[in-house]
Amino acid sequence: MKQVMRPVLPCVVAVALLALNNTDTLAHDPIFGIGPHVLYKDGIEAHLGAHREKAGQKKETELGLELSYGLTGDWAAGIELPYIKAEDGADKARGTGDARLFTKYRFWREDSLGIQETAAVLVNAMLDNGDDKENPPLGSGTTDTLLGFTYGYESLKWYRWTSIRYRRNGENGAGLRQGDKLFFDLAVGIRPTPPSYLRPDTVWLLELNREQGQRAELNGVEVSNTGGTEWYLSPGIFWTQRNFAVKAGVQLPIASNLNGSQAESDYRAKLEFEWHL
Amino acid sequence: MKKSILLTAVTLLWSATLFATGTQYSLRVNGLSCPFCAYGIEKKLIRTEGVESVTFDLEKGVVMVKVREGVTLTEAQLKQLVNDAGFTLRSMSEQPL
Repeated sequence: MKQVMRPVLPCVVAVALLALNNTDTLAHDPIFGIGPHVLYKDGIEAHLGAHREKAGQKKETELGLELSYGLTGDWAAGIELPYIKAEDGADKARGTGDARLFTKYRFWREDSLGIQETAAVLVNAMLDNGDDKENPPLGSGTTDTLLGFTYGYESLKWYRWTSIRYRRNGENGAGLRQGDKLFFDLAVGIRPTPPSYLRPDTVWLLELNREQGQRAELNGVEVSNTGGTEWYLSPGIFWTQRNFAVKAGVQLPIASNLNGSQAESDYRAKLEFEWHL
Repeated sequence: MKKSILLTAVTLLWSATLFATGTQYSLRVNGLSCPFCAYGIEKKLIRTEGVESVTFDLEKGVVMVKVREGVTLTEAQLKQLVNDAGFTLRSMSEQPL
């Protein structure tokens, strides 16, 4: 068993890292979790983001271009195209990562003066166009799906969100299947200064993120040093002016219970720019 | 010389105000909790024929819409526009400019 695992394990870990960046972060949503925000009807959101993470010897930087479209006032869909630079010790690779298609539907909305409470469901499909033959791999080699539910409360001063997501991973041509993942997020935000439409607006965020992964399987046999649970505390900031937004945050590991011998996350960081067109 | 320039400027401004025409709609909108999200309302309204300006008072939940003379916006039309932007129109009033 261990002889089979040695060449497989780096790929498993690298692909698992790739899988972490797929979040819908429309408008005033949390940075690492998800929120129920969608776009106005016929609106277009252009999103340029950078994601950096490090776990032991593995480092990854991802640049992503995301375009979303408002199908109705409560339903948005879009595509994300990532470009990845990955390092695992002396091995380095760069190139296009797996593209992602996503849609989010806000099925409940309760509006009152200065307050909006909403809930939404989302579905993501992560395609297999990234190069999984590179070392480290740039793609998963599988088509994966993610289903999520999120609730949000937003007022002129306070924000609260919660979300849960389940990611179902496919099996690649070599018989390797990444373990499914369950994400749970809580987030709060505060706007220190009352907002004015044309003035810059700042919201400070704090998230608690939990990720639980099942063990990967190779031809139906569990790979021991994979899967487990990690908790993160994630401070962030959301700065906007009219139709332009900058979001930034860092994810700091606070607890982990990983199966077998695995490098724990050191940090993850995100910087994102959004335009509503 | 300076006095006559100033007088002319004041007169021109006064006459511009005197002859300003059109209608101002005051929309009370529920759910307005952030300026970035409110942009959707501006975008939807400014695309509407005859709308000249859109301003917001987020704390009061009020959207002011100025339209040029001869243009009328109905409550049903505004309700739909606000809903398409992701918010709820609570009430509206209008006054001639």
